[in-house]
Amino acid sequence: MLKKLLKYDLKSIFKFLIIFYGLSLFFAILTRIFLSVDNSFIMNIIGKICSGITISMLFNILINNLMRLWVRFKGNLYGDESYLTHTLPIERKTIYLSKVITAIITMFTSVIVIALTIFVAYYSKENLKMLTDMLLPIANAYGSTIVTMLLAILFVFFLEIANAVQAGFTGIILGHRMNNAKTGYSILFGFITYMITQLFALLSIFIVGLFNADIMNLFFTNQLLNIEILKFMMYLAIIVYTIILFVLYFINSEIFKKGVNVD
Amino acid sequence: MELLKCVNVNKNFGDKPVLKDVNFTISSGKIIGLLGKNGTGKSTLIKIVNDLLTPTSGEILVNGKKVGVDSKKIISYLPERTYLDKAMTVDKVIEYFEDFYDNFDSNKARKLLLDLGLDTSQKLNKMSKGMQEKVQLVLVMSRKADLYILDEPLGGVDPATRDYILDTILTNFTEGASVIISTHLISDVERILDEVIFIDNGKIILQSDCDELRKKENSSIDEIFRRMFKC
Amino acid sequence: MRFEFDNNTPIYIQLVEQLKICIISGKINPGERLSSIRDLALQAKVNPNTMQKALMELEELKLIYTERTNGKFVTKNHQLIDEYKKQYADDLSNQFFLSMESIGFDRSETIDYLKYLGGDK
Repeated sequence: MLKKLLKYDLKSIFKFLIIFYGLSLFFAILTRIFLSVDNSFIMNIIGKICSGITISMLFNILINNLMRLWVRFKGNLYGDESYLTHTLPIERKTIYLSKVITAIITMFTSVIVIALTIFVAYYSKENLKMLTDMLLPIANAYGSTIVTMLLAILFVFFLEIANAVQAGFTGIILGHRMNNAKTGYSILFGFITYMITQLFALLSIFIVGLFNADIMNLFFTNQLLNIEILKFMMYLAIIVYTIILFVLYFINSEIFKKGVNVD
Repeated sequence: MELLKCVNVNKNFGDKPVLKDVNFTISSGKIIGLLGKNGTGKSTLIKIVNDLLTPTSGEILVNGKKVGVDSKKIISYLPERTYLDKAMTVDKVIEYFEDFYDNFDSNKARKLLLDLGLDTSQKLNKMSKGMQEKVQLVLVMSRKADLYILDEPLGGVDPATRDYILDTILTNFTEGASVIISTHLISDVERILDEVIFIDNGKIILQSDCDELRKKENSSIDEIFRRMFKC
Repeated sequence: MRFEFDNNTPIYIQLVEQLKICIISGKINPGERLSSIRDLALQAKVNPNTMQKALMELEELKLIYTERTNGKFVTKNHQLIDEYKKQYADDLSNQFFLSMESIGFDRSETIDYLKYLGGDK
């Protein structure tokens, strides 16, 4: 049943995203053409405009993806459609799992499309060299290659967004626990949940700091971070965010399993 | 065994009690009218049976088991609102029902929709509200369920459509299954009912066999209802 | 067959009456096979359970009988059908006489009046 649910959940999100994917790649190509064909003033201006649109499209993809996930979650589980969703012969935890997997998959494809767009619009030997020159010292300090480092950063970013999505789900679930649910409550609860996850992250850094004076210094001094600590923080972030991801998943799934009260 | 059993079901919305100690039992092979004025708890009760609301206290048993996946397999529910994704075509909705309900008979659904003269490649949001409601009824009645729960199927439709709806219900429910029809339009449905449950102010006032009630009171169910709930 | 119902009396009793009329009037012939309960219920637009109840009543009156595999049939007993027909005719006539009485015709006057209407002077 999970597969069938995923089919419909993914379709409903991608139906919208695909438009933005297409648009951003389209403008990426335009940007490339206008910026590379010749160096006339007009072409340059058009190229810059296309470049601006491409960048805004990237944000559009992210924001739309997030909003779509939340809107679908609310509509499908608490709106008119909920009358169908909740009367399907499927466990509620499976329904929730499908939403989370959909979030992860769509976010993943969005990140790929974003990377692809940037590549199409701006890839050139000079740019690559510039980027490498910029990142190499940092990567060296981390004791890793540029690719690993970029992937690690991307992964943390990805986890961060996934947690934001789930915090939104928590908000919607809690906001609709009561009858006559109001969207305001959902947003409030979602925001509180997100804040709690951030506090939790901060708290775990503090706890680690109890055993590590360097990290404790973060809280009490204005000292600049050294690379060692940054590296450590990155690992910590990955671990803590992953824990948050699963804890939120578990909590949401449990609350959701207890039943809904739709209007 | 009892098909549906409600034991001491209470439901509050905030501090306001909407259902008060509801107890009743429904057996197989009956058409039951859940009758009451608007806003007396009919829909709330039905939504609890369909897991769309959680009871404040009490228990609902379907075939002896609590509401859940098993009960959803055998209950076919028509809510009082349009609940399909309106961006879907009718074909897609049929596919959706086929995907999720083992007991959905798509051939039957297609035949019934053809009888309505409906183009199934049409999107739902291109249809009139009345047509959307008919599509929903057809889908719900095309499941081979043990219990059909129809919430206000006659609300807001013209008399000709009422006949169509009642005919569709009568023709298509699985033999041996039970049908619960909630309505306040009693005179329209009473001739097809076996049993009635009167609900008022969140309480079950009466559950009785229809013909026995008529014999006893020597008048129509509609009249008995009017007498009991005079404003 | 067309069925009309009034919601004030039990539906199955009205069904029995109307089916009875169909049989004694010959609308359904003696020995004829009846449609299935579901089909009959559909024609009458009533609940199959109600139709079942009505048919059971008719079976008790011996007006129909069940062949285990083939379904239900109208009785071939013409004598019985005639008996019910007579009973019905008596009931209807008595009702008519009563009505006429209420406007001042006694029994023989009523009969004379009927003869007059029939063109038999």
